[in-house]
Amino acid sequence: MVNRSYYWLILALSIPAFLWLIPTIWMISLSFQPNDVLARTTSSTFFGLIPLPFTAENYAALFSFGQTPRWFLNSAIVAGGMTLGVLFVSTTAGYALARLTFPFKTPILLLCLIGLMVPEQAVFIPLYTMFADLGWHNSYHALILPRMAVPIGVFLMMQFFKAIPKDIEEAARIDGVGWLQIFWYVMLPLARPAMMTLAILTFLYAWNDYLWPLVSAREPERFTITLGLASIQSNFAQSEGLGRVMASGVIASLPVVALFLMFQRYVVQAMTAGGSKG
Amino acid sequence: MTTKAPKRRGLTEGQAAVVLLLPFLTVYAAFLIYPFFRGIWISLHDWNLLAVAFNPDAREFVGLENYVRTLWGRNIEWSSFTSPVIQTVGVLGAGLAFWAWRRGRMSKATALAIGLVGLVFFIMPGFHPGEDGRWYDRRFWPTVGNTIIFVAWAVPGVTVTALILAAALDGDTRAKSILRTLFFLSQVLSVTVVTLIWQIMFSPRQGLIANVTEALGGTPIVWLTDEQFAMAAIVIATIWWSLGIAMILFLAGIQDISKDIYEAASIDGATGLKAFWCITLPNLKRTITVVIVLQIILHFQVFGQAHLMTQGGPNDSTQVLVRYIYQTAFRDSELGEASAMAVFLFVIMGAFSIIQFVVGRETD
Repeated sequence: MVNRSYYWLILALSIPAFLWLIPTIWMISLSFQPNDVLARTTSSTFFGLIPLPFTAENYAALFSFGQTPRWFLNSAIVAGGMTLGVLFVSTTAGYALARLTFPFKTPILLLCLIGLMVPEQAVFIPLYTMFADLGWHNSYHALILPRMAVPIGVFLMMQFFKAIPKDIEEAARIDGVGWLQIFWYVMLPLARPAMMTLAILTFLYAWNDYLWPLVSAREPERFTITLGLASIQSNFAQSEGLGRVMASGVIASLPVVALFLMFQRYVVQAMTAGGSKG
Repeated sequence: MTTKAPKRRGLTEGQAAVVLLLPFLTVYAAFLIYPFFRGIWISLHDWNLLAVAFNPDAREFVGLENYVRTLWGRNIEWSSFTSPVIQTVGVLGAGLAFWAWRRGRMSKATALAIGLVGLVFFIMPGFHPGEDGRWYDRRFWPTVGNTIIFVAWAVPGVTVTALILAAALDGDTRAKSILRTLFFLSQVLSVTVVTLIWQIMFSPRQGLIANVTEALGGTPIVWLTDEQFAMAAIVIATIWWSLGIAMILFLAGIQDISKDIYEAASIDGATGLKAFWCITLPNLKRTITVVIVLQIILHFQVFGQAHLMTQGGPNDSTQVLVRYIYQTAFRDSELGEASAMAVFLFVIMGAFSIIQFVVGRETD
């Protein structure tokens, strides 16, 4: 395995990998350069890829004024709430569909399957009018609820529950344990890996979602960080200074990048499962 | 854990199912099923966002008029020579799929899917306004065309790059795992971060690409405001952003191929590129189809890149379907027409979802 051609391969691949990283490195590097320098040139040291002259002022400014901290908080609340909500409805429904027998099971399953085909873009207009009638726009639950209705999580959990051997459950049934207790005390602890996968996937989606927040959250103090970043990038050079906008971009990406690096295995699993079976 | 003394509870299996299903079915019915039908209902009305907001009775039932107004025109004719290139490609694609199926080189479902798409490409561009005729909505079909152009560049771009990387990066060594992570990393960024980075990358005055071009003695390209390059710029940013999922799926597919085949082949002298061509590719056929269909569904709904990087411009050259729907609804307040377009989008996405479903469950 470890021979000369292997090292050549790694070396050959490192070049495109570095090129792939350049946009990200550039963003980070620009965020550490003073705005007055950036107004003149973005290629001070080695095309601007090395942050010299260096300053951390952009980050300090971000937290002392401007709305970035508020947007960050909004994103955390929305993404956290959505993750909990999706976990709750997906585990309960997933378990029922995987393990219980009840009337109308096949029609319900089919109904959920059809829901997989409806893209967000096909329902965002009626959702907008619905939420407008209810006076729900510019709120956290307006951003959270529509995603809880997407059945992909239910199928992910259903597939996982189906793979658990039945005898554990049957033993508990013989002991006279009720169905809800079995779900809560026996099945949920077993489902932790799948719940982890679903949680991470939902969090990433929620943090990065753009179209629905753009439609629903119209007041700047209700923006998520993704939306806020979009609102300041159109006039980046003039008003805020390039360095500060880039610092916002870095801050907006930190949670998802950290989450991904920590739980890479789960993310990869989720994508493989969702891609080949969803 | 303090489990209570095991005593048979009153809930029957059916009752337990109701309790467990109720939370999901409630949100599902309220925020997906109902909006879906309400969307169709809105599309049958002349429905102005602002007027109806002030007075709920301001909408008017117009039947299918919104569909006619967006999809059709006056004196529309059909001929097989309107856009010869696309129509020929369509016929050839359909023919090729039929041939491949008859020769047993392609499964029935895949051949049928490609054949149908080919037929659509033959039939749809054939419609054009005749004498004194015009489309009722001049921007709709060009917008659909732009979306297809975007898909036609982004999907092969992502698929080929991801396939090559997956084949090269398959393996359990530390270096390969780090490289995989690096290539995947951009996938977790949000669309607004991606457009923020690439907007400035492509900037003719401040951009990294322009700076490097100048240092090499060239003239910088005005990427985002040049009709020739704007779509290319969006495609490049998209490939950079969305390569990760495709790569992961290919890696999973490659790992499913038995190692014995490679060993047997290496005895016959097939290693490296030859092994990739003769073993990896044929065995990945199903994964490749799945990835392509998945990407088509994903990229047909492109919005953020076009909305933030080029605002659909210059001269509508990057105006895509979802952005047009968004604008029709929330800038022009024409909810009825926008909903008709959304239904059109759903029909296309639904067709591809069915293809994905069939292909995904196919065993070869």
